Amino acid sequence: MVMNSKSTRNILLVTALAAVSVLSACGGGNDKNNNAGSSTNGGTAGSADKEVTLRLFSNLPDRKSGQGLAEQMVIDNYIKANPNVKIDIETLAEEPFKNKLKAYMASNESLDVTMVHGGAELNTLVQAGYVKELNPAEYEGDTYKFLPGVYKSFTFNDKLYGLPRNSDYEVIYYNKKLFDDNGIKIPTTYAELLEAGKQFRAKGIEPMSMNGKDLWSFAAFFQDLVVRLTGDQNLMLDAVAKKKNFTGDENFLAAAKLLAEARDTKLFQESFMTADYGASQNLFTQGRAAMWYMGSWEAGMATNDKLPEDFRNNVNVLKFPVVDGGKGKNTDLLAWNGGGYSLVSSSKHPEEAKKFFDYMMSADQWAKIVWDTGAAVPAQKYELSGKESELQKQLTEVLTGATSTAGSIALDSGTPKFKDDAQNAFGKFFAGGSTPEQLLADLQKAAETQ
Amino acid sequence: MQKVFNNKMAIFLFVFPGILLFSLTFLVPIVLSAYYSFRDTLSPGTPSAFIGFANYTELLFHDSRFWLALRNAVLLGLGFILIQHPIAIFFAIMLDRLGGKAEKWFRTIFFIPCVISVVVISKMWLSLLDPTFGAFNKMLDSLGLGMLKHAWLGDSSTALISMLFILIWAGFGWGLLFYYAGLKGIPDDLYEAASLDGASGFRLHWRITVPLLSPVITVQITLAMITALKQMETVFLTTNGGPGDSTQFLAVYLYNKAFSASQYGYANAISILFIIVCLLATYLSNKLTRSDATEF
Repeated sequence: MVMNSKSTRNILLVTALAAVSVLSACGGGNDKNNNAGSSTNGGTAGSADKEVTLRLFSNLPDRKSGQGLAEQMVIDNYIKANPNVKIDIETLAEEPFKNKLKAYMASNESLDVTMVHGGAELNTLVQAGYVKELNPAEYEGDTYKFLPGVYKSFTFNDKLYGLPRNSDYEVIYYNKKLFDDNGIKIPTTYAELLEAGKQFRAKGIEPMSMNGKDLWSFAAFFQDLVVRLTGDQNLMLDAVAKKKNFTGDENFLAAAKLLAEARDTKLFQESFMTADYGASQNLFTQGRAAMWYMGSWEAGMATNDKLPEDFRNNVNVLKFPVVDGGKGKNTDLLAWNGGGYSLVSSSKHPEEAKKFFDYMMSADQWAKIVWDTGAAVPAQKYELSGKESELQKQLTEVLTGATSTAGSIALDSGTPKFKDDAQNAFGKFFAGGSTPEQLLADLQKAAETQ
Repeated sequence: MQKVFNNKMAIFLFVFPGILLFSLTFLVPIVLSAYYSFRDTLSPGTPSAFIGFANYTELLFHDSRFWLALRNAVLLGLGFILIQHPIAIFFAIMLDRLGGKAEKWFRTIFFIPCVISVVVISKMWLSLLDPTFGAFNKMLDSLGLGMLKHAWLGDSSTALISMLFILIWAGFGWGLLFYYAGLKGIPDDLYEAASLDGASGFRLHWRITVPLLSPVITVQITLAMITALKQMETVFLTTNGGPGDSTQFLAVYLYNKAFSASQYGYANAISILFIIVCLLATYLSNKLTRSDATEF
């Protein structure tokens, strides 16, 4: 049974990567393949529909750059094509957004479309009946072009409840200028990463920026280490699912010890435990940190003219380094589909909401715009336009070059209680100096009591 | 007029709206909270089942985070009573002696932290205590005390004391205001009489000021304990109970359990115990500080 599941997953992953790879290969120099941006809603332009206001709740408060801009552009396009529709957007940054969405769920607030985080968070919404089931068959084909296997975090009990907006994967962004100016080698192994960290610290530069206050990045970093040691994308996911144990497994212990080395050599910035997402990004984009451990959705940094030009011209992507003696390759990618959109059950305008939802998720709207603006890597097949930034090309190469993917981030593959307890375990580990064995014991307890 | 007061219907009509309001805003939420605390609800709206006292048993006997949060609240309460209040009394006495425009000026300055938004306070102290760029660590460096530098809010050995400092600082103005007002109510002739009898300086205030302020002190101690137990916003915005629970407080823990960890039933059990603890704290602080108020 397990073997079948793994085989199925591997087939899906290979197919997905092959599809992206083929498109990448043929898209680069052939303008004829570029989509003209035609609207799938052209036929309704003349209809005399009644006035409708839709409510969208989003975790993208910055509407002038990055994904927020892409989302806003989709909305503007929709409003242009549907003059009878107004869209009322409410936005909050990451953690406040999550908490407020739960509060909305509790009061059955009449939203129409909401951003959702797949996995544990979406599962709670599903159990409350707050989000609608979707018919996967409707989203097959060329209107949407979703890659195979991207619904994993949005599917519960074989039913689909949301659509992914991006291909999310962890990388290390780095500032090439800081490496060059200080004569420091760009690391390809974990030992080299730690060594680079020491060298930067000796020069008064923060080696790597981390959103430690949010805690989830530690779990991703740990998962990356587990994969580098074992080459097994399922090990940590199985431990969360209680098919394996965190305690008593030498691979987890080895990974925890490597994590302790990062802590003890001060790889992360001094303020890492109190730095939230924005603070950690700011440290990197202002040239005070040489690296930033974050996901692929920050491709927009290279084209964001609010950031220093020096930085924009030097931001690059590093694959998570291999561990000496480990079985994992740097092409074993911690990739998943974390964020997406769902239709809300308590919507007052369900038909209009679905129309907007389908429009937003079509291949020539969110997916195309988010790629063309350089904001992120979509979860749908996209064609290289030839105008990509260097950062986007590198990110594409990381994705298409992946020899395996996780499919899910372990932290989000259990219950919200597991996530909360596991994050707390990492918090204690990094700020209180607990031992690798204690970290594993805490993770084991978190898995067992979820 | 006597007829109105004898009329039961009139009494009922006048009292009913208040009771209704009290019931809807206080009693009903508590009853609902108690109801949820006996269920395994993930979030309101999700299916749940009756689980008896399982939530309470887990909380009281297996949840070290709950007890840590409670301990931190007690420490904060003690910090208010033993650090904030003595300083506030001292400053109130100094203010009272100033007189004139200077008194008004300093009174305003000392109260500023209480009118600043909690968000501003949180971000300000995050910046001041930043390990790399913060003014406090830079000051230590310039004084040649670089070895004392810490990631004050990010190191679990220093995070709690840093948080307590912020909270004591932020609430100082309220305490000062109450003590200042209380001080203004003490007649000057008592001080004159005591001075004639040879009392001066510390003895003067220990014998005259403190006893006569005891009603204010009593109220302030009660408020301090309740405020400590209820602490939420500042902690939530600076450390969110971290790192690793070192600055965990009951209300932050409750909030995160309810909304981040999706353990709504469990969070309601925390809130019921929270109410019980607050009532006990109120009762005990009133009991311990009760004494015949000094007459003059």
